Amino acid sequence: MSTRADAGTLASASGAAARQSRDGGATPPSRDGRSGRSSARTKARIAELAFLVPALVYLVLFFGYPVVKNVLMGFQEYTTKTFFTGEAPFVGLDNYSAVLSSSLFDKALLNTVLFTAGSILGQFVLGLAIAVFFRRSFPLNNVLRALLLLPWLVPLIASAAVWRWILDTDYGALNRFLGALPFVDGNPAWLTSTSLALIAVIGVNIWLGIPFNATILYGGLQEIPEELYEAGALDGATGWRAFRHITWPLLRPVVTVVLVLGVVYTLKVLDIILGLTNGGPANSTQTIATYSYFTSFKEFDFGQGAALGNVLVLLSLLFAVIYLRLNRKAVDE
Amino acid sequence: MLFPLYWMVNVSLQSGGGAVATPWFPAAPSLDGYVRAFNDQGHNLVTSLVVSLGSVVLSLVIAAPAAYALAQFRIRWATWVLFGVLITQMIPGIVVANALYSAFSDLGLLNSIPGLILADSTAGVPFAIIVMRAFMGSIPPSIVEAARVDGAGQLRAFVSVVLPMSRNALITAGLFTFLFAWGDFLFALTLTTTEDVRPVTLGLYQYIGTYVSDWSPIMATAVLSSLPAIVLLLVAQRYVAAGVTGGAVK
Amino acid sequence: MARRRVLTTALAAGAAVLLPFSLAACGGGSSDEGSTGSGGSAKLTIQDYYNDDPGKTVWEGVYKACAQTAGVEIDIVHIPGSDLIAKVLQQAQSKTMPDVLMLDNPDLQQIAASGALADLSQFDVSTDGYADGIVKASTYDGKLYGLQPITNSIALFYNKKTLADAGIQPPQTWDELKTASAALTKDGKYGLALSAINTYEGTWQFLPFFWSAGGDEKDINTPEAAKALQLWVDMFKAGSISQSAVNWTQADVNDQFKAGNAAMMVNGPWQFPSLAESGIDYGVVPIPAPQAGEPTVSPLGGETWTVPETGNKDKQAKAAEIVKCINSDDNQKLLAEKNNTVPTKTAIAEEYGATNPAVKGFADLVPDLRARTGELGDKWPDAATKIYTAMQEAIVGGKTPEQALADAQNG
Repeated sequence: MSTRADAGTLASASGAAARQSRDGGATPPSRDGRSGRSSARTKARIAELAFLVPALVYLVLFFGYPVVKNVLMGFQEYTTKTFFTGEAPFVGLDNYSAVLSSSLFDKALLNTVLFTAGSILGQFVLGLAIAVFFRRSFPLNNVLRALLLLPWLVPLIASAAVWRWILDTDYGALNRFLGALPFVDGNPAWLTSTSLALIAVIGVNIWLGIPFNATILYGGLQEIPEELYEAGALDGATGWRAFRHITWPLLRPVVTVVLVLGVVYTLKVLDIILGLTNGGPANSTQTIATYSYFTSFKEFDFGQGAALGNVLVLLSLLFAVIYLRLNRKAVDE
Repeated sequence: MLFPLYWMVNVSLQSGGGAVATPWFPAAPSLDGYVRAFNDQGHNLVTSLVVSLGSVVLSLVIAAPAAYALAQFRIRWATWVLFGVLITQMIPGIVVANALYSAFSDLGLLNSIPGLILADSTAGVPFAIIVMRAFMGSIPPSIVEAARVDGAGQLRAFVSVVLPMSRNALITAGLFTFLFAWGDFLFALTLTTTEDVRPVTLGLYQYIGTYVSDWSPIMATAVLSSLPAIVLLLVAQRYVAAGVTGGAVK
Repeated sequence: MARRRVLTTALAAGAAVLLPFSLAACGGGSSDEGSTGSGGSAKLTIQDYYNDDPGKTVWEGVYKACAQTAGVEIDIVHIPGSDLIAKVLQQAQSKTMPDVLMLDNPDLQQIAASGALADLSQFDVSTDGYADGIVKASTYDGKLYGLQPITNSIALFYNKKTLADAGIQPPQTWDELKTASAALTKDGKYGLALSAINTYEGTWQFLPFFWSAGGDEKDINTPEAAKALQLWVDMFKAGSISQSAVNWTQADVNDQFKAGNAAMMVNGPWQFPSLAESGIDYGVVPIPAPQAGEPTVSPLGGETWTVPETGNKDKQAKAAEIVKCINSDDNQKLLAEKNNTVPTKTAIAEEYGATNPAVKGFADLVPDLRARTGELGDKWPDAATKIYTAMQEAIVGGKTPEQALADAQNG
């Protein structure tokens, strides 16, 4: 699951970042590198670079090349014919103007925003609550924390199938549970009504995202020295006030990171939406990611699909830039 | 939080599909689903295991030296490399899969374990670089210097001093790399067609077509395929937490 | 689309993601350029999507017999249904097309349009005796690119016991269908199950209603189309069909029917084996017509056989022989019988329907089956998307049928 990997990668970077900014920026070892003229020095330099070469080669081959290919495809008329004739004429910005002007694009963009905002908000608030809860020590704390990560590790196909049953209108566990309550009437059509489907999909995505948020925030909380709370308690800051004046400000760097990462990761979400609603009913859960997929693989217009994919990457980049700016200090050693 | 997972186990122990209301508890549990799943998917579980372990080895071999270089050497454009690593993570998996298909088809890597290992490492390599870089930043340079003074070259110092000191980082990165490869579906679907090389995630997907009305083997497979993750989590609790927070936990 | 393989939406979707790239490594170099072994007989590759039994074994038997007749060796490759087109595209790109290729009939136009298929007339393939719709489906731009041995369609299945208990006759008109569905909806069970999903499968299920009412895929914004859509909307609104149907594949529909959750369903003969296994006592009648005495126009399902342009004329000629052999009278009968489908030559279909009561309902439809691509050719997928979009907008999107059709037509 590359999306999970992404989140993990960025998160770990940010964890380090957060730590370093708190430490006032850990300085790396400075080996006297003022003048690198002697041949011995040059040799040493080359030896050092050799450490990076395998990774650089791998990244260029497995990421650089696909990205370039996709950017090019976005400017080409790339259809089923292309596969046989090998011809994909360049059509300038036609693909972009076609997808941006389609009526579905606006809907998909709105859904993408709602889906992302809803997912992030839910994951973050619940994740933080859980992280705070786990700070107390109680029996089984470790085991529970391990189990908490599970939703993040079960194959998505299985998760999607299980959720489809739980949310089934007529026979789903959720509606059977709700039906047993006195004040609920009727069976909400979670996945099959235009008003609820997006909410349901967001709900499932929140479930998938909580482990990640909770674990990172928990790590951030562990970093806050206990003495601060003791000192705060003397000044009468306990409970909510302690959270507001001690926890929150110190957790800020981690929070920023979690939120930005969450956005980048959520923008790309595809499989869970396809698995639950396939973008339906009546396009009510169509996002830019699913729209791009349908254009490429259902309508076989690979040029327009690539264009949509590139729009998505640009959106992510926007957040990446924000993220990097916020962590500039940490990365710029 | 855990209810859906309970539901998965519940369904795996019953027969019948999603068309009828599943009982709340497996009153009369049957292991038929598991027997069938094990018979059909045993081979695929082994494939997944081989691919995942291969991906761990490959990712660590590529990532560890790079992480060390980024953490300890003064390379002016290290920041940009790191940016690059982060940006790779913005790219939708499909884009990578698309490009890999045609490249792999030319190289004869389709339907092969090495091909899957290479592809699945796209998740592991960047992750491992960043996790390990965070850890290795805290290795006191004086230790490496001492080894160098004793006449060890850069590489030897790295292998005999840095790697042993970074054991935790390696384990954390390896663990996650394993899980990423284990859970991969996109590359499995894109880059294989035969039954000889078929990771369990894809086996699960193929099942859905076959057992449309009896979900117990499907869910049993899902449970089986989640087991390695569960076992790893319980065993390596400490490393997992450290991995996700990228060394923020000291 | 008698897509026999029907995955859950979820998975189909998930997988399709990967489609275009599902690989085509023809193991063991089976498609080596005209590799002629010392025996001198070429080896041909046959590719289809019959990847599970009972169909798989039946087809393989026919291939082997035909290969023997033609004096060639064959390699058989089965690709899961949802991945077939993607794979064919990949093969076209890497010039590793199979020698004999099966395509779902509505896909033929698109593939033919890309130039990947050989015109069968050069191998003197004859279409005498075939139902018109069949020939039309495999013809692109006036040239014949495929030959289809058997066909299927969809009809109305009903649970005999449930209808008998309620004293209801299988419906023959739209009004009867509405009344019966409503009357059969009780105790948490629904009167009717069908697939109104947002894929081509949903379109396929709606077509018998759409066409019988006089709807036309060239312009779906017409009163006739609205009438058909109104019927579905009414049945959903009345609660005779579960709203979950907008997320059901035909396999899900079959599950509901088997579980007794629905008294009637719209489905195809490929469900016979699974229904037999469940032991449910059911009957099959044609999809009800708008008015008594009017015909029902049903969509033509099934797969057609083509010879891809591999550039090796000798092998193509052999491949064409195999295609002809698969379509021989005897094989049409055999395949129809084993797969619960219907022969495509009208005379054989008639004779066959008379001896197989189970499929008679389907055999009677053959002469009038309408090809989805008959009017629009390779532009059909676009229309199909418009149809299911309008369908969902009207059923759950809160639009009137007229509005939904107009919006979809205008993209």
